[in-house]
Amino acid sequence: MKSNANRSAEIKLLISRIVVYAILGFLSFLCLFFFYLMFVNSTRSNAQLQSGFTLIPRENLFNNFYNAWHDGDINIPVGMKNSFIIAMTSAILTSYFSALTAYGTYVYNFRFKKFVHLFILAIMMIPSQVSAVGFIQLAFKYNLTNKLWVLIVPSIAAPSVYFYMRQYLEATLPIDMVEAARIDGSSEFKIFNEIVLPIMRPAMAVQMIFSFVGSWNNYFMPALLLNKPDKKTVPIMIATLRSADYSKFDMGKVYMLMVMAILPVMVIYVILSKSIIKGVTSGSVKG
Amino acid sequence: MKKLLSILLAMLMVFSLVGCSNSSEPAPAPADETPAETEEGKVLNIWTWNVEFWDFLGKYYADEIVDEYTYKKGDVTIKRTTYPSDGGAYQDALDAALLNQANAPADEKVDLFLAEADYILKYTNSDATMDVKSIGVTDFSNTYKYTVEAASDANGVVKGVSFQCCPAAVIYRRSIAKDVLGTDDPAEVQAALDSWDKFNDVAAQAKAKGYYMIPTTNATYRVFSNNTTSPWVVDGKLNIDAAIEGWMDQSADYVANGYTAYTSNIWGEEATSEMFATGKSMCFFGPAWYFNFSMGNAQDPDKGCFGDWAICQGPQAWFWGGTWILAATGTDNPTMVADIMNTFINNEEVCSKLVSEDAQFSNNQAVNAKFAADESYGNAFLGGQNDTAVFVELAKNIKFQNITSYDQLCNEGLQTYFQEFLDGNVDKETAIANFKDYIRTTYPSVTVE
Amino acid sequence: MAKRKSSGNRSISYAKWGYIFIIPFFVVYAIFTLYPQILTIYNSFFEYYRDGLTIVGPRFVGLDNYKTLFATNHAGYVPIFKFLGNTIWLWVLGALPQFVVAMMLALFFTSTRLNIKGQQFFKTVIYMPNLIMASAFAMLFFSLFSQVGPINQFLISSGIASKPINFLGMQVSVQTLIALMNFLMWFGNTTILLMAGIQGIDEALFESARLDGSTSTQVFFNITMPLLMPIFIYVFITSMIGGIQMFDVPQVLTNGYGIPDNTSTTLIMYLNNFLGISKNYGMAGAVSVLLFIITALLSSIVFKSINPNRK
Repeated sequence: MKSNANRSAEIKLLISRIVVYAILGFLSFLCLFFFYLMFVNSTRSNAQLQSGFTLIPRENLFNNFYNAWHDGDINIPVGMKNSFIIAMTSAILTSYFSALTAYGTYVYNFRFKKFVHLFILAIMMIPSQVSAVGFIQLAFKYNLTNKLWVLIVPSIAAPSVYFYMRQYLEATLPIDMVEAARIDGSSEFKIFNEIVLPIMRPAMAVQMIFSFVGSWNNYFMPALLLNKPDKKTVPIMIATLRSADYSKFDMGKVYMLMVMAILPVMVIYVILSKSIIKGVTSGSVKG
Repeated sequence: MKKLLSILLAMLMVFSLVGCSNSSEPAPAPADETPAETEEGKVLNIWTWNVEFWDFLGKYYADEIVDEYTYKKGDVTIKRTTYPSDGGAYQDALDAALLNQANAPADEKVDLFLAEADYILKYTNSDATMDVKSIGVTDFSNTYKYTVEAASDANGVVKGVSFQCCPAAVIYRRSIAKDVLGTDDPAEVQAALDSWDKFNDVAAQAKAKGYYMIPTTNATYRVFSNNTTSPWVVDGKLNIDAAIEGWMDQSADYVANGYTAYTSNIWGEEATSEMFATGKSMCFFGPAWYFNFSMGNAQDPDKGCFGDWAICQGPQAWFWGGTWILAATGTDNPTMVADIMNTFINNEEVCSKLVSEDAQFSNNQAVNAKFAADESYGNAFLGGQNDTAVFVELAKNIKFQNITSYDQLCNEGLQTYFQEFLDGNVDKETAIANFKDYIRTTYPSVTVE
Repeated sequence: MAKRKSSGNRSISYAKWGYIFIIPFFVVYAIFTLYPQILTIYNSFFEYYRDGLTIVGPRFVGLDNYKTLFATNHAGYVPIFKFLGNTIWLWVLGALPQFVVAMMLALFFTSTRLNIKGQQFFKTVIYMPNLIMASAFAMLFFSLFSQVGPINQFLISSGIASKPINFLGMQVSVQTLIALMNFLMWFGNTTILLMAGIQGIDEALFESARLDGSTSTQVFFNITMPLLMPIFIYVFITSMIGGIQMFDVPQVLTNGYGIPDNTSTTLIMYLNNFLGISKNYGMAGAVSVLLFIITALLSSIVFKSINPNRK
């Protein structure tokens, strides 16, 4: 009797495991399938693409790559360069200055300390689009369109990164450590740069990755501010693919351009997936 | 020096305006008198939305091709600035640049820019463009009249030239025409298609044989919109012309009867897939540049149908596109601007090469006539048909009329929103209401009723 | 807390460094965000746009832009309401399955009974779409689901459909595709957050419940869900605020037209339309102000959920 109950429990467990793995398998399939299809299609010529559905890659990968790389209208090498400049410098600025600001409100006592902290939390949720209208107006007025730095500098003030850094500091930085350094005669900046920053390295790395990905994929503001071909970023170029005109009849090239837009972030992800996934949880909310 | 130059230029412009109002006789070419010749800018900026003209400029004008964006002519660097046309992006960027023209450094000023018929009026009717006669473009004896009218402002002052003339035709698949009409001879096919009624009859025959008359309902749009009797905006109010209504009726009819393969954008993957050999659509519509540059799928070595095409006039005369080169006020390279313009309309050698090597229909009547009469000349894509001969006839009937600066987005918007009706998603009233709302959002200055 | 206070007393003389360290943030914020925001609001009371090469305005018009914003259009509805409705609906379509699936997966992954192997692999895969460029994702779906695209090719060659399905022309399919993309982009992220939440719950609570003979359903509703509530609310509200800002996917998928019949036009797409060729700062400002009010309401909720103790 008892062993029967055990067995039925085992069977139940086995069935539920099968169901769970089936669900996981299906969701993983959904996540990968469309991108696999994109990859396959980027290896097919335009004519092959017209001749039907297949999951088997063909031989036109390099051909499509060559055509995409040398396209007259969509200068993807320049786009990738611009995107990289914006994403990399934003990532550095946003993580450094957010850490600095968080350190400022955490370690020091000053009159508006609490207000400052609450203020930054309050503005965290205001969508960037709300400032877009005024921002664009100013950009046009002062001739600041098509300047990459206009998209980079605002990353210094990133409330959500501040919030993350602040939480990280609260969890990892003992104030005593700062005071010990002061007794040793270190200046405040030196303490921050040489003692605090190394402690914050994991947090900075995580925020740099997220910031990089965010900037790399950002479309709304760059699309409104950058329209010169040599200043465009990758997402703007990808969006122009959607507006059909005669130059885009080569679908092999179109798929290849999408692959190229996604690839850099995917490479980063494959290398750093563990710490990225860890980063998702660590800063979001206090358990 | 710059100041002196601009004063000189301004004086020249005033002079030429006075000259114009005095008589309409072509003034003696003042090119040699242009004092700026020796002291002009070292950078000539050209604004374009694609590379078509840019490539010709490299081939027939520049001394040296530095890279994709840069040419050299003498000691002047010619630079290209390109924005995509779709959704008004090009106009948008150009407007911003022209509004800033006075403040821009000399080497960043727009010197020359391209414009399409859809919005050329916005620029010709503004101070942003200058009288080309004042800089030495005076001989329009060989250009097609409509191309000059299109580049003129309300007072008849010419602000630019076109390097091409774009009479457009019906481009039909020879093999399908043979099957449906029993002939692929352009004259006989034309006889069967010379009115919309006949065209519709043939559509029924094509359907009976398992073909589509057109790849997409948008294919015929330009034919109708080119033959309107009133502009898109009348006294600041949106106006939908009877010809546009005609297109809507025809499209609805074609969808209901299955005469069209798709209802999509003509540039989209759906419509262009009909250009492959496997396509079932008989008639495409377009000018020389369309079948030479935009029918890539038909020219595909594996799946295309090169040579299985021919052109005829079709139901109505019309033109499509055409690229005008306009001189921007404030240019520091007036001599070169004029030189480029003259090269592409009056240099017989260049115009001849545009026809023979680049399959263009040039804006030089004498050159075109020469090729039309040349029996050895033919276009291999069209099975050896002499397309120039067809276009010479067509060009006689082109009218440039009822154009406004709002046309591009009105045309794009109407087709997009009407497609929703054709696809059965909304009723006709809603489709038109959505279009009106789009115009209201897009152009605050246009009243929509 | 006590420790910080004591250290604070000793560091009074360092107060100026606090200001110095936060100056860059606030200077940049003031110039690049606050001032533009104020300008946006200011603009909303002006007629100010471009008509070709002419700049119209700025001319003070009071609340006219807001009146226009809330006026009925030619199709017989108030556009801003319809687009707000679209935005919420599109968000719900993607978010609802996202929460359900994410909760399910989080329970699977944390279940000691099931003891799922290969968790790292599954997590890596399901989080991956979150990093995909939304515009490229939308362009990919546009290409895959076009009438001559691979999906239709497959449907026809396998005999499921006899003629191409116009996925990108029908409301049901366009909205489903947008929801599917949003679902794929966010369910992995939500799963990981909820997992962390569940793992943060004291194991002893589950243990004692099991000893009491509670079923797993009871455990879920009596222990897991209540303790997970704060994080769930956080995920919910941030997802909602992200949803209000939905732009890239529908914009690229429908080429900005929100086809069909404006059923996939979102608030930000509407804002974007005003910033197009006419640079209508007045109307765009009014839309932004509305957006601001909506998100301010939502963020005050999230603010409370993050700091439940602070009153």
